Formats: sequence, structure tokens, C-alpha cells
Amino acid sequence: MAMAALRREGRRFVPLISPQPISAVQSSVISQEQAPQGVRSISTQVVRNRMKSVKNIQKITKAMKMVAASKLRAIQIKAENSRGVWQPFTALLGDNPSVDVKKNVIITVSSDKGLCGGINSTSVKISKALQKLTSGPEKQSTYVVLGEKAKAQFIRDSKDNIELCITELQRNPLNYTQVSVLADDILKNVEYDALRIVFNKFHSVVSFPPTVATVLSPETVERESESGGNLGVLDSYEIEGGETKGEILQNLAEFQFSCVMFNAVLENACSEQGARMSAMDSSSRNAGEMLDRLTLTYNRTRQASITTELIEIISGASALKG
Amino acid sequence: TVASTSAAVPFWRSAGITYVAYSSVCANLLRNCLKEPHKSEALTREKVHISRSKWADGKPQKPSLRLDTPED
Repeated sequence: MAMAALRREGRRFVPLISPQPISAVQSSVISQEQAPQGVRSISTQVVRNRMKSVKNIQKITKAMKMVAASKLRAIQIKAENSRGVWQPFTALLGDNPSVDVKKNVIITVSSDKGLCGGINSTSVKISKALQKLTSGPEKQSTYVVLGEKAKAQFIRDSKDNIELCITELQRNPLNYTQVSVLADDILKNVEYDALRIVFNKFHSVVSFPPTVATVLSPETVERESESGGNLGVLDSYEIEGGETKGEILQNLAEFQFSCVMFNAVLENACSEQGARMSAMDSSSRNAGEMLDRLTLTYNRTRQASITTELIEIISGASALKG
Repeated sequence: TVASTSAAVPFWRSAGITYVAYSSVCANLLRNCLKEPHKSEALTREKVHISRSKWADGKPQKPSLRLDTPED
């Protein structure tokens, strides 16, 4: 106790000198202070500040993880329900990723907010690879970008291929009306033979692989059905009412696009929350480890300063006695 | 994109609406037929907030906001 009082006395005469900026925690956090009285004590202030900020960051990332978990729960139900909307279309019209068309439009679905791990980068990577694959002489492909994060990445090197950019989609909770407005916009203003929607399909909280869903334009469906294959069976269906096959195909193709978009946007939102959960979880774990290391450093410097003071006091006392 | 002339085109197609927009309008009519409290709950599913910007020659044009909120 007397030591503590002495230490406090020593501190009062010691002006704190701000230390050099510290790059690594393990490196010397000890700053020597010069005091007129000749009392030397090592400052633990820097380490303490750092510990406080790391602890705050840990709390924040833990909270973000909880928020992402609750958002995931809500949107996962919607996403799973929306799967049943496009599955009949794939059963009827098939999925033709290898279709060879002149005009491809690649729709990249990404998030507006960050801190969600690498999902947006993987989507963009796949989109760029797809663009290279589907371009060539007489073929071209352009982008429709959903979400700020993918937009930022595309602006860097694919500016000339972007047709449309859509953001602020998740301002309100996602619903079909919004996606149908989007789909209507794209159907009216973008000409395409095949639409390739790139998104992260939500399998589980830790698994959200990027997927490509292909939707063909009615004319392409017509062409493919004539050439046989999966779509050739369409002719064996009987058409009721006064509509022609071409009309029905057009309605179906438009509606298919809208349904697949809806599912893609929901699945991507789920994947975003799942990725954010795991990113924030590893962030809080890293913060915890950092805190442990800092605590060790803090205790080491604290004990070193106590030992130094003890030595000085005892040697001073023994000098007096002797 | 208009169907062949052999059959009569439905009125909405000849008015220039896509099937998606047509079904959206029908859904809106259906939602408005509901009674409270289901009606207001269903109308929350009609909120639209989109900001779109068309790009031409590698340059974005001014983004336009599409905001539909159901009145009531």
C-alpha cells in the first residue's frame, strides 16, 4: 500500500510524453518519461487505451453478429418459400447455362452494405469470368449491377460494359412488388437473348456458393424448342384458350425472369447476413485474442515498473542504513 | 415483341405492358379487396424503393428514385 502511495506521488511529478506511433502491439509499448525528480516509471497508458478500444470493437462486432443472426432468421423463411416459385419453371423450360446466344446480359446481385466477408467479390469474379466466356465475335455481354458493392468493383475496370445500376434495394424489407418493378424495367429497357443472374445461393450459414441462373428470352426459347432437346417437349403440351404458343412463351419467360430474380435477391440477402455473421464472429474472436496479448503486455510492463520501484526503494533504504 | 397477328393480342400486351407489370396490377387490385387487418399487412408488401441509373458509354446518368408507397 505504501508502494502504491509512493507510486502515485511519483506519477504526479511526471509529465506524460506522448510516445511514438506504435505499429505492432508486441513491439515496445514502453515509453520512458523524464521527470525532474528522477523518478522513473513506465507508462501503461498507451496499452490501456488500446485495450479499451479493442474491447469496444469486440462489443460492437458481437452486437453486429447478433443483429445479422436475427435478420437472417427473418429473411431465410422468405427465401425458402420463394424457391417453390421458380422450380416449376425450371421443370418446364429447363435450365440452359450452355446456351449460345448473341446478346447476353449478366445481372450481378450484391449487397449495398459492407462488412459481409467476400461474397460480393466472388460474385463479381464469377460475373467477369462469365462475361469473358460469353463474349466473342458477334457475341456480346453487358452488365446490370444490383447493389453498391459490385458497382464499386465494376467501375474500376468494366465501366463500358455496364448497362444499368440499381441500388437502395433493401431500404424496405424485400418484397415481390419491388422485384417485379425491377424486372419490368429490365424487360422493357434492356435487350437480351439470355439473362444470366449471378448471386450467392444460400445453402447454410457457412455455405453460400455463387450460382448462375439462366433465363432465356421468348425468341430464344422458341428457337431452342425448335431445335429439339429439353425444350422440344413443349410442343407436346396442349394450349388452351385463344393464345398462341409464342404469346404463352413470352408471358412465361417474363414471369420466369421475375420469379428467378425474386429468389436470387432473397437468397443473396440471406447469404449476405450469413457472411456478415461469420465475418463479425471471426472479428470478435480476433479482437479477443488481441485483448489477451495486450493484457499480457500490460501486466508485464506493470510488474516491471513495480519491480523497478521496489529496487530503487530498497537500494535507497539500504544505502541509508549502510 | 408483339405476338403474331394471327391471334388477338390481350389488351394489356397491346397497351405495352409486360406480363410482370400486368400481374403486379392484378395483385394490387386483389390486395385492395382485403379487409383490415390483413389489408394493411398486405399493403406493406407493396412498398417499393429503388434507385436506378442508366449507363451510357461508361458514364452513369443521374440516378432516378422509384418510390411507390401504397396510399393509406
